[in-house]
Amino acid sequence: MQRIKVIVFKEWRESLRNKMILLGAIFLPLIMVGAALVMVYQGRAIKVPGAQVVLFNTALMYFLIMPAIIPLAIAAYSIIGEKEQASMEPLLATPISDRELFLGKALASVIPAIGLTWASFGLFLGVCIPLVGGIPPHVLNAPWIAAIFGISPLLSLFSVGVTLLVSSRATDARAAYQFSSFGILPALIPLIIYTSKKTLVNLWLVGVEGVLLIVASVIVLYFAIKVFSREQILTRWK
Amino acid sequence: MDQVNQEQCSVIQTEHLTRNFGAIAAVNDLDLEVNKGEVFGFLGPNGAGKTTTVRMLSGLIAPTSGRATIVGLEIGRDNRAIRERVGVLTETPGLYKRLSVVDNLLFFAKLYAVRYPERQTEQYLRLFELWDRRDDLAGTLSKGMRQKLAIARALIHEPQVLFLDEPTVGLDPEAALMVRKLIETLRTKERTIFLCTHNLDEADRLCDRVALFKGRLLAVGEPRELKERLYGRRTVIHLAEVYAGLEDAIKLPFIKKVERMDNTLVISLSDPEKENPLLVNRLVELGAEIQFVNELRVSLEDLYLDLMEENDATD
Repeated sequence: MQRIKVIVFKEWRESLRNKMILLGAIFLPLIMVGAALVMVYQGRAIKVPGAQVVLFNTALMYFLIMPAIIPLAIAAYSIIGEKEQASMEPLLATPISDRELFLGKALASVIPAIGLTWASFGLFLGVCIPLVGGIPPHVLNAPWIAAIFGISPLLSLFSVGVTLLVSSRATDARAAYQFSSFGILPALIPLIIYTSKKTLVNLWLVGVEGVLLIVASVIVLYFAIKVFSREQILTRWK
Repeated sequence: MDQVNQEQCSVIQTEHLTRNFGAIAAVNDLDLEVNKGEVFGFLGPNGAGKTTTVRMLSGLIAPTSGRATIVGLEIGRDNRAIRERVGVLTETPGLYKRLSVVDNLLFFAKLYAVRYPERQTEQYLRLFELWDRRDDLAGTLSKGMRQKLAIARALIHEPQVLFLDEPTVGLDPEAALMVRKLIETLRTKERTIFLCTHNLDEADRLCDRVALFKGRLLAVGEPRELKERLYGRRTVIHLAEVYAGLEDAIKLPFIKKVERMDNTLVISLSDPEKENPLLVNRLVELGAEIQFVNELRVSLEDLYLDLMEENDATD
């Protein structure tokens, strides 16, 4: 556990000195909060109930895209950065286990993604009512709250698994980022159902999305852990 | 030394160690023994399999066949314990350029679960004269300083065995000298050092024993012993002029071989300390005027190149 913590803090320390990651982590959530506020503002101006719900749901969907997008850059750099600096081998020469290393790298990306998503959601709620009048409680219902707090960690986990897998085969952080963005699209498709619904999001939808994500995450993480062995890293990784 | 003591002294032992990558045998049937406190040179050209050997011996990759023990621990079975006891300096320093000097070292001290990581980090930064640069980013250091930091990283957990993969490659002469001095210092601290290099002069100066390797072991021994084993000992005698037929006239029983190049004789002997005075007397008796008598010194480079050439011819 101690070694996982050491890896996580090292990754964060490096990320804080990486402008691409830092700016992404600051501005991406702010832009999405802004976009969500605009949606709510427009939604409140529309008098057609179905269309209004679609806009409110779309606004809230940003808080499910965020946990999938934010960890991409951190996870991609955490592997590509090691490759670029040729620092992986000295790291592998330490007593850390393959699993500890994988978990450290994964958590270093997942934790900030979840933290920033929830903080952004808090910010959104805090400014939504005074600025644009808020979302009616029958739209921002318990299933939505469950999705934001329950589904977002799963989305982050899936996204990190995909990125770590892609990064093991890539040599450039931007390429890894772009390919990973395509890789996570299947997980985001069910969210479109949320936005297209003129009715309210219900627990059944959230449950199905949750189960699908758990299955997808398990599959992706299984392969990611497999490629994360010393033998593979030193002999197969590009 | 009896067998028990020999085994106690032996820190690295390999038996038929082999590693294949597909159809290519990177390391083939390696039998090696490295003793405690020894600086052992592992010499070979690029692509000879030196790094693969180090990776196997430091518990990073598995051998295809054969076995090896490091400080009594078996590779494959005790990899984690091996990694706790060995330090590895990879060919490139592999530092985290966005982290400070102190953070780089502290990170590894914590991964190795060093008891007092901050204290140990400070001690090594001071030892390697990097303390004043502790807050600078590693990416801003000179090549020599990066290498020093990488060596400090390999030593931070006080390993029993240190693997150094090309520690002076790419360094300017001053930085290379500094690294060599560091290795000399480590030798005095009874650390076993496994030095991979193709810098033969460095190996000749630093190593107690060397192994010449190119996919398989070509020779192993003390540099001097190896040279003698392959070339014997030779005395070079410079004469004042060319004496026709002199080499045939010497006729001393201990002489193994005489070669003549103009007014220079190269004579192979088994015990030059005893045989040189007799040889000189004989030449004077034959009327030769001697200008200089020297021992012909073969460099490790000559030995290396000859062995590599022989190996290529065999292949």
